Formats: sequence, C-alpha cells, structure tokens
Amino acid sequence: MIDLLNPILFGGLFAVAAPVIIHLLHRRKLKRVDWGAMRFLLEMLAKRRRRLFVDELLLMLIRVLVIACIAFAMLRPAVHRRYGGSNGAALSRQGRTAAVLLVDDSVSSMAGRAQPAFDAMKRLGLAYLESLAPGDEASLLLMSQLGAPPSDPVFDIEGLKANLLSLKPSYVATDIPALMEAGLDQLKRHINPGAELVLLTDGRKDGWHEEDKVRWDGLRERLRGPTNATPGTRLRPQVIALTPASVGFEENLAITAVGMDRTLVSAGRPGGIRVTVRNFGIQSSRDVTVQMMVNGEVTGTKPLAIPAGGQQEAIFNYTFPEPGSYAVEASLLNHQDLLPADDRRVVSIQVEASLPVLLVDDTPSPGLENKLGFLQDALDPETGQHGPFHVTRISLVQLTASILQDYRVVVLGDARVLEPSMVDALERFVVGGGGILVGLGPDTDREMVNRYWARNGAGFLPCPLAEAVTPAISPIPAAINLGHPVFDGFGARSDEAWKEAKVRSYFKLDTKQIKASDMDPLLTLDNGDLLVAERRRGLGLVTLVATSLNADWTDLPLQAAYVPLMRGIVGHLGSFIIPPRNLEPGGQIIYARAKDPAKGLRAEDPSGKPLKLTLASWEGRDAVVSEPLMEPGVYVLHDPNQPKPIYYAVAVSPAESALAPISDREVARHFEEGLSLIHTPEQAAESLFPARRLSVELWKWFLLAALGLMFGEAWLTRRETAPATGRNG
Amino acid sequence: MSLLQKVQQEVIERLGNLSITARQAVESVLAGQHRSVRRGLSVEFAGHREYQPGDDLRHLDWLVWARSDRYDIRQYEEETKLRAAIVLDTSGSMGYASGAQTKLEYARALAAALGFLMIRQSDAVGLVTCDTAIREFLPPGSTMAHFLNVLAALEKVQPGGETSLATVMDEIAERFTRRGLVILISDAFDDPEAFLKSIQHLRHRKQEVRLFQILDSEEQSFPFRGMIEFIGLEREPTLKLDGDRVRAHYQEVFAQHQGRLRSGCHAAGVQLETCSTNQELFTVLIRALGLR
Repeated sequence: MIDLLNPILFGGLFAVAAPVIIHLLHRRKLKRVDWGAMRFLLEMLAKRRRRLFVDELLLMLIRVLVIACIAFAMLRPAVHRRYGGSNGAALSRQGRTAAVLLVDDSVSSMAGRAQPAFDAMKRLGLAYLESLAPGDEASLLLMSQLGAPPSDPVFDIEGLKANLLSLKPSYVATDIPALMEAGLDQLKRHINPGAELVLLTDGRKDGWHEEDKVRWDGLRERLRGPTNATPGTRLRPQVIALTPASVGFEENLAITAVGMDRTLVSAGRPGGIRVTVRNFGIQSSRDVTVQMMVNGEVTGTKPLAIPAGGQQEAIFNYTFPEPGSYAVEASLLNHQDLLPADDRRVVSIQVEASLPVLLVDDTPSPGLENKLGFLQDALDPETGQHGPFHVTRISLVQLTASILQDYRVVVLGDARVLEPSMVDALERFVVGGGGILVGLGPDTDREMVNRYWARNGAGFLPCPLAEAVTPAISPIPAAINLGHPVFDGFGARSDEAWKEAKVRSYFKLDTKQIKASDMDPLLTLDNGDLLVAERRRGLGLVTLVATSLNADWTDLPLQAAYVPLMRGIVGHLGSFIIPPRNLEPGGQIIYARAKDPAKGLRAEDPSGKPLKLTLASWEGRDAVVSEPLMEPGVYVLHDPNQPKPIYYAVAVSPAESALAPISDREVARHFEEGLSLIHTPEQAAESLFPARRLSVELWKWFLLAALGLMFGEAWLTRRETAPATGRNG
Repeated sequence: MSLLQKVQQEVIERLGNLSITARQAVESVLAGQHRSVRRGLSVEFAGHREYQPGDDLRHLDWLVWARSDRYDIRQYEEETKLRAAIVLDTSGSMGYASGAQTKLEYARALAAALGFLMIRQSDAVGLVTCDTAIREFLPPGSTMAHFLNVLAALEKVQPGGETSLATVMDEIAERFTRRGLVILISDAFDDPEAFLKSIQHLRHRKQEVRLFQILDSEEQSFPFRGMIEFIGLEREPTLKLDGDRVRAHYQEVFAQHQGRLRSGCHAAGVQLETCSTNQELFTVLIRALGLR
C-alpha cells in the first residue's frame, strides 16, 4: 500500500504540464530563413522523420517524467503494510518515527503509597523508548514546562532515556488537552514522517478536563488532520497513552482553600481565617487536626471529622496586629495519605490599615447631603477614625488623573459629566487593577454616559444604559448572588434585608452586546431588571448600580442592608492585590509598586535561598520579576522602602487532589480512533517491539529516477544537437 | 564594383604582381593541361633548335639527323589554343547568402577570373549559364572583345529555377565535339548519381572537366537554433524544423552527399575544388591553379 506523507503538495503534480507548454510556446516562436540546401533537409526528413518524431516524443516523455518524479518525491510516498506483533495489536509505524513524549509531571503523579505514580510512568516511558530504532527522533515535553521555549528533537534515544530517568514530579496542575496541543505543535519541529504522540500520565480523571468540550473538539480535529491523511503521520499522529495501573484513590485528604471570611482585612479588627479540608477518599476520616500558622507562628489547631467525599471548614479567629503582608499556612497534622503535597496550603493576605476610597460628588458637603452623603456615612461613619475605609470626598472639578494613584477604589455618584481625559484616566485606573463603583441618578446624561463611559461595552462602564424608568409599582431587590464575596456580611438573613428597599426609578441596563460570562449580576429587581452588576475590566473591577446611591431614586440608603451592601461592594472592589501574591506553581513574583524597583530588592524561596530577580515591564510599569516559582510554600520579598516583608504564596491546585482514575473507555472516547492504551511495561513490549520498520519511503528512489532521467535527457539532447564534426570534411 | 573591375582587382593586380616564376607557373599549369589536347592538331613549323636533355624525343627531327647527324628539335610558331567552356549554375540554390555575397555572385567572379587568365594566354573561352537547361551559350573565343561579351553575360545572370546539372552536362557533351576543357562552377546540389553519370559522359567525349563547388559556410555548419521555417529557393515545400534537433541529421546527409560527389569525381578523373563564399577568391585561384 502506498501512501503520500506530504499530500499538501499534491498540486505540484500539475507541473508535469510545463514541458508540454514550453514545447508549444517554443514552436510558436518561428524564424524564417530562405534556404538553398533544401534537398538535404528533405532527404534527411525522408530518412529520419520517424526517428525525429520518436526522439521528440521520447524527450518530451522524459522531461515530463523528470518533473513527475520530483513532484512525487516531494509528496513523500511511502510503501507500508500493517503488521502485527504476537498478539496482533501492534502499532503501525510509517517509516522513521518522530515521537513526542508528553510527560504529565503534575502534583498528582506524586501520589502513591509504596512508590509514586511517576516512577511507574517513567518505566512505561523507558519501555516505549526501547522500541525506537536508530534514526528515530524524540522529544520530551513536560507539563511543568508548558509555555517555556520548545526544545529541539533529538536522535540520541539513550540520552533521552537518561533524561527521562532524571525527571521528578512538579507541583503544576494537569491539563491534558493543553499538553496534547503542545505535543502537536512540537511535532512540527520533527522531520521523520511517522508521528507518535506518547502521553505519559498518571491517569487521573480530573486532569483530562472532560467538561471542556470545545477544547476537546478542537484537539480531536487537529489530531484527525485532513481527510486523506495517513494514520501515524504528522498530519494524523498516532496517540499512545501510557498510564500505569491505578495507584489507588481510597485515601486522600486535602486542604483545598484557605481564606478570610471577609473581602477586606483590616489591622486590629478580629476576623476569621477559613480552612477548607476535603476528603477525596472513600473512607471517613476522623481525628484530623488542622494547624494554623501566621508568618511561621502557630496560632491554633482544630480537630475535624470529614466524611468520605465530603468537606469541613475550620475557622480560626485571628486579629492581624498591624497593616502589611502576612503568610497564612494551614496544614494537616499527624496525617498520612496517598498525596502529601496537598496536606498543606499557604496564602498571602494583605492587611490594610484602611482602604483608601475616593468619592467624586458634585459639590461635596458633610452629612447625608448630595449624591454620596449616604455612601460616605456607610463606609466611614466616624470620618477617618480607624475604620476599614479611609474615605476622601471631592468634587468633580477636583478630580484629576494624578489623584487616582493614591486610591484603590473610586466612586462616581450620578456624575453629570467627565472630561474625556478623565474618562481615559479612569479606564487606565481600572485596567491597571483599581476598582470603580458607578451610581446613577436624575442627573445622569444617558447619551453622554453611553458614548464616552460605555463605548458599546469597550469603555470602563460594565454596559451601556437603556432608558430610565419609573414603574408605577416600585420594584424591590429580589435575587442576590449569594456566593459572591460582596454578600459575605449578609449571612442567612439576606432575603429579609431588602423587603422595604423600594427602587422608584432606575436605568435599565443594555446587556445585549455583553457576553453573559463577562458580567456578574449581583442584585436583580423583582421585575427581572438588573440593579447591581459587576464586570472585570483588565485587572480591575467596575460595579454599576442602576439607581442612585442616595435616596433620590430609591429607599435603599434608608435600609439596614445598605451599609453591608456598600461596604461589601467597595471592599470587594478594593480587595484585589495587583499584581497577585497568591500564585500557582510556575507563577512569578511581580513587584511593580517600588519607586526604584531595582534598588536593594531581594527575594527568598521557602528554604531561604535567594531568588533571581530581573527587571521587566508589567502593564506598562517598571517591575521586578522573579524566576518561576515551582515549589509550593511561602516566598518572601524584602523591599528596603517597606517596613515589612511582602509574602507570596504558592499553592497546588485543589483539583490535583482528586485521584479518581479515568477509565480506558473514557480515554478512548477522547481520541475517536487510533489510540494505543498501554498500562504496563509488558504490554508496551508486546505492542511496541514488533514494530519493525516495514515501511519504506520512496522519495529517494523517485529522486534517483529523476536524476537518471535527467542524464538520459542530456544524452539524447546532446546526441541530437551536437554537430557532426569530421563527417563532412 | 563591376565584374570587370573585380576581375582586374583579383586577377591582374594580385596575380599580376606575382613573381615571374609564379606567373610562369600559372601559365604552365594551364599549358600543362593543354598538352594532350594539342597532340594531333595542325601546327605551324617555326624552325629547329638543338636538342636538350629532357626534350620529348617525339619532337626530334629524324630527317635532320639522317642528313646531318645532328640532333635537332622541331619548333612551332604558335601553341595550339585550348578550348574551354565555363559552365555556370544559376539555379535558385545559388542565390543563398549568409554573408555579403550570394554563391552566384562568388561563382561568376570565379568564372570571370578563370576566363581572364585563359584569354590572357590566348586560350578560347566560352560560357554556358544553366539551371534545369542551358539559358545562355557563348561559344569559345580567344579575343578580349569576346571576353567582354562573356563578362557582360556574367553580369546579367540571376539565380532562379531548379537544378538539373545532369541534363545540362549531357547537352554540353553533345555540343562540344572537339576536345576541350569544361569548367563547371556550381553548388552541385543535384542528384549525385545522375550528375556523376553526366560527368562521365563528358569525359567519354574527351572533355577535361574541373568542378568548382561553391558552398556557403552555413550550408556546412547549419548553425540555426530554435524553431526555423525553411523556405526553399527552388520552389521546394516549406519546412518547420528545430535547428538544434535536426543539425546532426542534416550534417550527416550533407556529408554523405559530399562523400559521394568526391569519390565520383575522383573515379571520373575530375578535379573537384570545394570553395566557401567566405574564402577570398584569390586564395581559391591559387589553390586551384596548384600554386600552393
């Protein structure tokens, strides 16, 4: 059976017409000559007409064949036949093999009681590499190195085996589709025609991201290649999944989350640190002790009993004594399970003295007057006396671009108009990580807001405004997004809080052009209209309240719910520490707030070793960036300009803790066809060793034929055109 | 430049400037050709001279020896005139020229030069122009006035018509009953078998024959490249051929023709002189007259 390994160049075959076309064009270019010795030409034709015709035909044929041979050589035809090993289930290989070993070195590959799954994966990988022959090429692609510059394939299989043996599991999360995509990209760097994507994974189900059907559909389409692509070639690579027999999932507890019970953590105010522990095993766990540490000091322990498949939360009350960065670490004491890596989790928490909030009002005055009087009172009732919010209230005319850099949240209350330069400054403020709360009202110019602030969804406003409405029966808030951190302070009585909060007038929000996933509705009226919505813009957040923030259009400021709602919204808007300090393995410290970022900065890893820092740019600002942080734990950055160190936390993905394996059937379903699933080195030997190279690529023969034909053509041409010297002398 | 001027330039100025020896050689070459012709013709007695070693014993006057016991050689008042006919082929193929002059122009210059040389040593020269038949016939004459007529006839010849030298040569053989010299100037692009047969006919009629074959250099080298439409000068069908591809075949056929012509002439005792139009006429004359 002959297959074309490079069918994309099939159009090259049309080049065979070139000699015929050139011949016809050549015949059209006639020169006229009055000739005396015609009798010799006539005599020659009488004798040689047939031979001339045959020679011409032969030459034409040779030239066509030369081009056809070259065109065929470029198509890389290969003769092969399917062959089988002793069990008849062996692989079909297309000539020399290009193998990309995709190694899932994620956290879960550390799981195992006697030995980690990663060791079994390496043995399978070695068994596969044993099946490769001289001339085959291979490359290693690690899950932990996705995104790093790709490396070139190597022909040194022995070197690659040593490389594989030296690998260790990392702390990154599994993303099988991403790994497969990277493998397909890496195949482009190979030159051998036979292509194999060899997936070395621990077979944990969660890492396959089955729920992401769009990605899998795209991946399957890439793996399938063109309709006429030969299986086992780079256009349709053979997929080999090497997954060791399951390491078990019967026992694994994991700390899946550590966080505060509020969005804004203030110094000197008691708060709760929540620790979530989940039992991924099939047996209940009793007498599990959770230990809490803040900045390396134990602050408490709590016992937990967690049913199989369930989770429990332990709350540690703690008061952060002063503002600054804190490293909070929770760990399971005296506990052993299949995956120790997820028994400990750290987070970095920024404690503020108070959140700087800028209220922009028409004409600010004390008390409840004007547009933002109620809001100021809700956030900072004691006007700057040790509250969690430090509020500054200015008029629109005082608002400048430079003033924004001193605040984390800006509130616009029914602002009449903003200068275009100010709109631009606000957009840059929110894209860079700031928070904006926009309230509307009777002074809101809808046309102006839509044109400059919303810009059809491209501006800083979450969405354009539709018309302002005043229903005959004033609606009240009916549905709230209870899981949202804004509502953390409401607790179980949230439904009761809105009963009297009539909204007399409000702007309908035009969300038609905004993707539903982009906008987060926080509060909806009982008539279905949105009242409060949030949208991420760049690294920051914008929250839009469709009614007034004072009592002009709504009774909401007169209700008890107003204070926790506004504090929740403003606290949430200001709670994001940008650049982030809670990272996944592979993330980097990005420090962009230093005035002179290079001077005196140093960073340490969890073991105290210094980290390499480099100058870089982040969101248009000078920044210092560390090397990728691969190990979980607390990393410390020391800035001579700051009184306290800044903590960065690296924690493994909670998804890695679910060790339930994926079944062979489920794996096979992802790849439609052409999948070889191997679980043991014995199976590998059975399936891969008989894979002798019975396929032969024919391109070199076609090139040789073309060369021979070219010699023939040259000889024929020379014979015809060479002058017959000495024969007429 | 008129033909006479050309002849004067080529023959008088250049051959005339040759040394005495060379001129004598020219004359002796031509005279040598006459020897067999002269025998048996009437001659006019002029006197005796003493025998010198090397003299032909046939000219020894036996009566003087019988009377006076002296060895005297008989001398004659005048050598016998050579009767020569220059046959000029004016067929269409003679009109071919790759350079400045056609083969016919070259041929008539050659004819004039040879005629002049012969008139100069008192031989009789005639002219025949022909293609498929005789177009002009001037019987041999030895005066300068006759030679001017020959030149005038040469001046007005034009190429045209097909080639049939065999027919013409047969007719000449019938017309020239007395011994003489036939100088044929042609490209000899004719059927070699018929042509050689007619030559033998001439030889059979006791005619000395010399063939000057006039060729153009391109007719030998066939230098054409690419597609060429060949238009025959003798009403042959037009041919469209790739010059590169037919060159070798053409040269082979041409060489065969030349080979047959050469061997046929040799067998018939005909001196063949092949000339190219890019050769100087003077050098051709020197070579033809055996001076080199």
